[in-house]
Amino acid sequence: MPEHRDGRAVSKGAASPEAAAWKGPTYYGRSQLKPSPFNAWVVGGYIFLAGLSGASAVVSTVAEAVQGERGASIGRKGRYLSMLAPLVGAPLLILDLHTPTRFYNMWRIVKRTSPMSLGTWILTAFIGGAGVAVVAQLGVDLLGLKWLKRIARLGSAPAAITGAGISTYTAALLAATSAPYWAADEKGLGVRFASSSIAAGSAALALGEKSRSTRRTLNAITGIALLTELVATAVHHKNVKAKGVGASLESEWAHIEEAAVLGLGVLLPLGLYVASRRLGDRKRAGAVSDLASLAVMAGSAMLRVSTIRIGQDSASRPEVSLRFSQPENLPKKRRA
Amino acid sequence: MEIHPFARAREYPDSVFHDVIPNESELTGGVTIEPGKQYGFFTDTTVCIGCKSCEVACKEWNNLPADDIGLTGQSYDNTGALSANTWRHVNFIEKKQALADDTAERPARGVRDNDQNAFQSGWLMMSDVCKHCHHAPCMESCPTGALFKTEFDTVVVQQDICNGCGYCVSACPFGVVALNPLDGKAHKCTLCYDRLKGGLEPACAKACPTESIQFGELSDLWERAATRVEDLHARGVTSAYTYGTPDAPGATGDMKYLNSFFLLTDRPEAYNLPAAPTRPSNRVAPAFAAGLSTIAGLALAAAVLFAGAKTTRD
Repeated sequence: MPEHRDGRAVSKGAASPEAAAWKGPTYYGRSQLKPSPFNAWVVGGYIFLAGLSGASAVVSTVAEAVQGERGASIGRKGRYLSMLAPLVGAPLLILDLHTPTRFYNMWRIVKRTSPMSLGTWILTAFIGGAGVAVVAQLGVDLLGLKWLKRIARLGSAPAAITGAGISTYTAALLAATSAPYWAADEKGLGVRFASSSIAAGSAALALGEKSRSTRRTLNAITGIALLTELVATAVHHKNVKAKGVGASLESEWAHIEEAAVLGLGVLLPLGLYVASRRLGDRKRAGAVSDLASLAVMAGSAMLRVSTIRIGQDSASRPEVSLRFSQPENLPKKRRA
Repeated sequence: MEIHPFARAREYPDSVFHDVIPNESELTGGVTIEPGKQYGFFTDTTVCIGCKSCEVACKEWNNLPADDIGLTGQSYDNTGALSANTWRHVNFIEKKQALADDTAERPARGVRDNDQNAFQSGWLMMSDVCKHCHHAPCMESCPTGALFKTEFDTVVVQQDICNGCGYCVSACPFGVVALNPLDGKAHKCTLCYDRLKGGLEPACAKACPTESIQFGELSDLWERAATRVEDLHARGVTSAYTYGTPDAPGATGDMKYLNSFFLLTDRPEAYNLPAAPTRPSNRVAPAFAAGLSTIAGLALAAAVLFAGAKTTRD
């Protein structure tokens, strides 16, 4: 390697503030990467709905499996909520294509290197399982066919397994790109998306729940998921900074993330849950819990929108992308 | 293998032809194009004169419209960047002397310290193009299979399959692939797939007047590049190195090698190239594992909470 290429001062600390951005030459400040052409609201909206649907299938199926007949009302709610991903989410995905009339080409192949391809198949399987379950549930609810209950529960099991997939593959979708903010810490993004999905799914199940004990159990699950998300966010941001992508955490959308995801989506509901437990008045306790649920869902949606926007911003800034693609960020073990 | 172009050129002394010359690439590039072999570009930036014939030849052959006919103010580069309509792009890097008011925090953009005089003594020019990566991230990410590896080991978008999801755009570590908003499809250099099928070398390589762009079999090109680097080092240009050959910058992070590679004399960032790109698909499994194990852990916590919950009918 030519000597003058080593001219850059090597920072001593692993995550010193000096390592924040690329100080060397850029090409007239032009982008080195092309930012993803996703519409952040449309794709972020889908990722949120897939997370909510998938996770509500997981949580409600667990409730039914553990509580049996007692958990049937959560199971029923979960089956209806799982329809959000197919009925609203999937059309959003097609809407974001630049040639939407060819959406069916997604089913041409299966490719394990492409999370978008894997996600297509996981979503398809989810729609199958959840579809059977919801049709059976409709038969029970509208036609009074009691014998369909078993089929509804049977359909929920595959919906829960594939639901775990659709609520998390979207992290791999973003991480398996070259956008520095998405690529910097794929595991951190995975944990954040997964915990936010469970929080949103569980919060949606708790929305309008009449039984106080069920509501409290669901709120406790949401609370644990939010605490997981809180820790995961701190670790994710730390790892992103260690890879020199810290400059992307100073963008406008990074501030929006802080306010909407952490403030509105995590800290506010955690406080409201504590308040709801202390309230003696059942109606007011329920209202406070519902308010918390809505805040959790709004925060979960904003996590996806802001993550997309911060990633797009990181890709279009050469001082971020050229810093991220320095040799010190190469995976360690892969050198032969 | 190596065929001397003149040997075949002597067979065609006329200046007007009524038929396509079979295997014309043997005349113009000294290479026979056969399916099943690996082909690529070797772009030697030390002999680039910035004439932009490659850009023009590419646009003409591929029927690509101009992106913007304005002036950028960025040296002689009014093309700007590779795009859906621009598959060759000549970078112009004007090296100037450092200015007194330059600071580390605010270095003049595109300008670096060196001991050369201002004006035309410190030019770097480089014709950028799709790298046709061995492990092409665009192809690995494509959910429809529109992006594929051809029989010439190049990477091409099938326009009749692409549905414009745009995932390849964010996967590319070099910022090459782009969507055209007019037709809603992804576009990039095809390494003149149609010409290769007809025995013609790619338009840009044929048009290049200084052999800065060389088309050929990858193994031949690697040899040529190594010889050229040695030659340049012997002549005192010690900064010369290859970008994108096996184990060189640009072929890092499991990328193996790039079918279109470059000979550079400054750090990759000066040419708007990443020093050490990585293969995005290696991040798929860890992201999945982290997400699914979090779901599993939280589902377990939910099971414990549901099991411990008392029934109340209120």
